[in-house]
Amino acid sequence: MNLNNMSRVWRKPARLFVFLAMFLSPELVWSLEVPPLTGRVMDLAHVLSASDADRLTADLQAHEATTGNQVVVLTLPSLEGEPLEPFVHRVATTWKLGQKGTDNGALLLVALKERKVRIEAGYGLEGALTDAKSAQIIRNEIVPRFRSGDLPGGIAAGVAAILKTIEGTYQAPERPAVPAGGGDIVGQILIALIVGVVFGLALSNVNRLVGALAGTGLSLWLSPWLLPAIVTGLVTLLLVLVLGSAMSGRRGGGFDDWTSYSSRGGGWGSGSFGDSGGGGFSGGGGDFGGGGASGDW
Amino acid sequence: MRRASVMSLGVGLVILFAGLMSGCGYNDLQGLDEDTKAAWSEVINQYQRRADLIPNLVATVKGYAEHEKETLEGVVQARAQATGIQVTPETLKDPAAFEQFQKAQAGLTTALGRLIAIAENYPNLKADQSFRDLQSQLEGTENRITVARKRYIDRVAEYNKKVRFFPTNLTAKFLLHMEEKPNFTVADEKAVAKPPEVKFN
Repeated sequence: MNLNNMSRVWRKPARLFVFLAMFLSPELVWSLEVPPLTGRVMDLAHVLSASDADRLTADLQAHEATTGNQVVVLTLPSLEGEPLEPFVHRVATTWKLGQKGTDNGALLLVALKERKVRIEAGYGLEGALTDAKSAQIIRNEIVPRFRSGDLPGGIAAGVAAILKTIEGTYQAPERPAVPAGGGDIVGQILIALIVGVVFGLALSNVNRLVGALAGTGLSLWLSPWLLPAIVTGLVTLLLVLVLGSAMSGRRGGGFDDWTSYSSRGGGWGSGSFGDSGGGGFSGGGGDFGGGGASGDW
Repeated sequence: MRRASVMSLGVGLVILFAGLMSGCGYNDLQGLDEDTKAAWSEVINQYQRRADLIPNLVATVKGYAEHEKETLEGVVQARAQATGIQVTPETLKDPAAFEQFQKAQAGLTTALGRLIAIAENYPNLKADQSFRDLQSQLEGTENRITVARKRYIDRVAEYNKKVRFFPTNLTAKFLLHMEEKPNFTVADEKAVAKPPEVKFN
């Protein structure tokens, strides 16, 4: 009896784990993971001194404040066998550098072990920071300094050249763009669920069955994809029926339970990436099409 | 009271029906179809960008390496062949045309690889500023093609799934008459993702 209870207690976390693993597994395919974006200068290979990094960060920040362009530097100890171009593109699109709509982001990546450097230009910067221009910056500004062993100097010169090239392409929006939330799937499902349940409960006062049907329909309609829609619809149906009967039993009690559930759920949607405590830097939603140039030293 | 509940039953059914309609995937299928077309346009766009670079590239190489006639003509011919095949989103449905398009573009990739390889034998050409710019533009364009193809592959996979999965397959088949779309093969994708091979002889 006791043993039986134990296994029932553990079944839920185990199921949750399997569920989460399904979501995480595609990431494990890659040998080299995209590091979380925590700042404008991501010196993972430790080639920059603290003052160098601070100066670069300040430059990049000032540049974004006036132009909206988001430029980030990433140094890596090694690519661990990953081909350069696809990896840089993956990093840039994961971080979503640049503003949504203008796609004015750029990434300078330095891989120490492979002695490779690449400038990746966002869609919106391809006109100014062309492939040829990127190659020139690598060839004339970065590589000569890298060859003489001056990595910080090469990075600083490269960043300065990039900023100068893309200066004047865009104006920063009046208000710093706040990434629009609620676009993610979890948020949409939650909204579908909440609206469906509230509507269904309201109609339940007239007729239990009507309320349940209408609530289910609303949830189905508002959900983004088919499978979530079916699940959301079923959950709404259950919730309306259960809460509806609970409400007619003892008014209010069911509603309190549900309110605490939804407020807990609200936390999932907002927990996206780029949450860096101090600076609070994150990508603005820009996209990359593979423009830029690579070089080695 | 009775009439009110009948009316609200009607309202409930209408809303349920609206939910089921979107559940059958009509809008999703239309949206995904449009997405694949947009992704394909981007692939074409980037291949066109590559084709546009070639006349300048050939002219520049000619200036330094005129007697490499065979290679230069190979590129010009491959370009003519590749640009001769027009694949619009509508003709995309034809796997044979798709195959032909892929072959022609792969042929151009190979010919360009040879052209870049012979440049290694001409130090003056390699040092020429406009050749260097063209070469980096070519590299950038090849990379863009890879990205555009990858996005097309992802979009088509998403679309094909919708077309095959139950119950949206019923909507696709009987209501919209949509079929699966051909996709780039993995082997082919690898070949393109790799930079052109450089051979010295």
